[in-house]
Amino acid sequence: MSAKSHIHKDAPLLEVKNLETAFSIDGTYYNAVDNVSFRVKPRQIVGIVGESGCGKSVMSLSVMQLLPKGIGEIRNGEILFDGVHLENMTDSEINRIRGKEIAMIFQEPMTSLNPVFSIGFQLQEVFFNHMKISKKEAKLKSIALLKSVGISRPEKIVDEYPHQLSGGMRQRVMIAIAIACQPKLLIADEPTTALDVTVQAQILELLKEIQEVNDMSVILITHDLGVVAEMCDEVIVMYAGKIAERTDVDSLFHNPKHPYTQLLMGAIPKMDEEVETLSTIKGIVPSLKNMTKTGCKFAARCPKAMPECVTVTPQLAESEEGHEVACLLYETSRPNTEVNA
Amino acid sequence: MEPSMPQQTSPGLAESAKPPKSQSPWALARRKFLRNKIAMISLVFLLIVCVMSVLAEPLTMPVEETAKINLTQMSKEPSAEHFFGTDKSGRDVFARTLHGGKTSLLLAFSITSAVIAIGTLVGAAAGFFGGWVDNALMRFTDFMMNFPFLLFVIVLKSIFIESSTGTLIFVISVISWTGTARLVRSKVMAEKENEYIMSAISIGSSSPKIIFKHLLPNVMSTIIVQATITLAAMIVAETALSFLGFGVPINIPTWGNMLQEARSPDVLTSKWWIWIPPAAILTLTILSINFIGEGLKDAFNPKSNR
Repeated sequence: MSAKSHIHKDAPLLEVKNLETAFSIDGTYYNAVDNVSFRVKPRQIVGIVGESGCGKSVMSLSVMQLLPKGIGEIRNGEILFDGVHLENMTDSEINRIRGKEIAMIFQEPMTSLNPVFSIGFQLQEVFFNHMKISKKEAKLKSIALLKSVGISRPEKIVDEYPHQLSGGMRQRVMIAIAIACQPKLLIADEPTTALDVTVQAQILELLKEIQEVNDMSVILITHDLGVVAEMCDEVIVMYAGKIAERTDVDSLFHNPKHPYTQLLMGAIPKMDEEVETLSTIKGIVPSLKNMTKTGCKFAARCPKAMPECVTVTPQLAESEEGHEVACLLYETSRPNTEVNA
Repeated sequence: MEPSMPQQTSPGLAESAKPPKSQSPWALARRKFLRNKIAMISLVFLLIVCVMSVLAEPLTMPVEETAKINLTQMSKEPSAEHFFGTDKSGRDVFARTLHGGKTSLLLAFSITSAVIAIGTLVGAAAGFFGGWVDNALMRFTDFMMNFPFLLFVIVLKSIFIESSTGTLIFVISVISWTGTARLVRSKVMAEKENEYIMSAISIGSSSPKIIFKHLLPNVMSTIIVQATITLAAMIVAETALSFLGFGVPINIPTWGNMLQEARSPDVLTSKWWIWIPPAAILTLTILSINFIGEGLKDAFNPKSNR
């Protein structure tokens, strides 16, 4: 399952190159996603982890072209989906891809469904958007879909309204809507954060099952490393809009390289250890306005920070085969050194 | 199999004891509204007024007859022949009240429809698209708001010399939609932040589809309540303008034109039957519209439990 970034034989489904997404605050642009590149291969589950405010969601919104208009903007870089550029598409062009080729699940199942319409109505909308289909067929299809996401008595649920369903059921409905047209890529933005733990496990299991059945790729955005360990093939650790580390899930858990990743790992509570207080990472992610332009953005909170961390910007580079990291502790991350992994 | 999550405060909660067939928010609001006594009485009253007005001609006389001056029947008190008596020109007050209601209500309903349509479109577009669209539309709205209502109508009415009911509808509509536009805009702006809008976009729905299918139904309750307020206000506006002589041409009976007669002290003090009927019906109609609006507001509010 080792994911290597330089394999060319199976072309990536999604390729993000040097993406810079910025938000304008008082007329000045601040990069929320700063020069990020990664690939998602077919049938791969890529996890994106990081604290709140480190650019995970903004990156996924950039891919879907869902950035708030007039405020957020892709300033630079390319987003290639199946070889097609997404970043400059018009609304009607991207609308043909949204929901059909790329679908998205959101964090908050409580508000992700329109309260005034029945479940069936909302499910059918995606069919009407992308297929020529009769009302009757759409209804049959949506019942089948609901069944496939593990909703019992789907014939009844299609006529019910969102407020009659529990959070877990609503998230299942959201998943059903997302997979209705069998997209090639599913972006799940913290799909289980708002659910309680038992439901979380069910939803994750369902996602994995659907991924296997439909041969989808999945980008799973989360701040739960447990979810990553269970689900993902490859992991991207983000900090302050940049990729700190990118590798396959095994190497990440056995050999975390970036100090940030190491601290994140340390912050996971362990069942077999008894500690007074859980370890935390001091400080918070700097706000967009207060981010340093040069140097490592994590330097201020990093226990291993060196004086040069403030002045030299580390580069994301392979320090080991298939294991990219952006930290000056590793020779390869120093600017102007040859990458010879 | 699902552990039940704590339910949100939702319209369904109050009625969950005996689950009704349909739980759509519309059905819930309808049930709540039907239980509201004052609103229902008002609705029935309004319907009676509307039906009577529409049926004015078969019930009394053709509209041309109501304008005919009859010198032999001047200022007669109410009697079996003239239910509400006759006015100073010998015209039947009952017939004029019904015909007046027809004109007044037609005017008010037309203006309200126009105002709500324009206001909703402008407000929804501004609120949904934001940015320069919002800026342009809202500055235009501000511009339109600057015109003092009465003055503007009077000036426009003097420009269109051959003023008719149609002109009046147009003139009032053109400057009255601004409040609705602002209201709808703010509602849409709040509503579009909900994730279901984002998820609708993410399944490839186009902007018009999102506005009309997702946003407007969710702000419809506000729009409906606003419509009732506008309706009442427009009846008053018509009456006020006609009373001042700037409204509907004087030969067409409306409640406002009828009240104009009460400007003479003689009518006001000693010939009560000339102005009381239109005034009373006018007041009751406006009151009932306001009660209906209040009832609707209550019905759409998921937090009220009536």
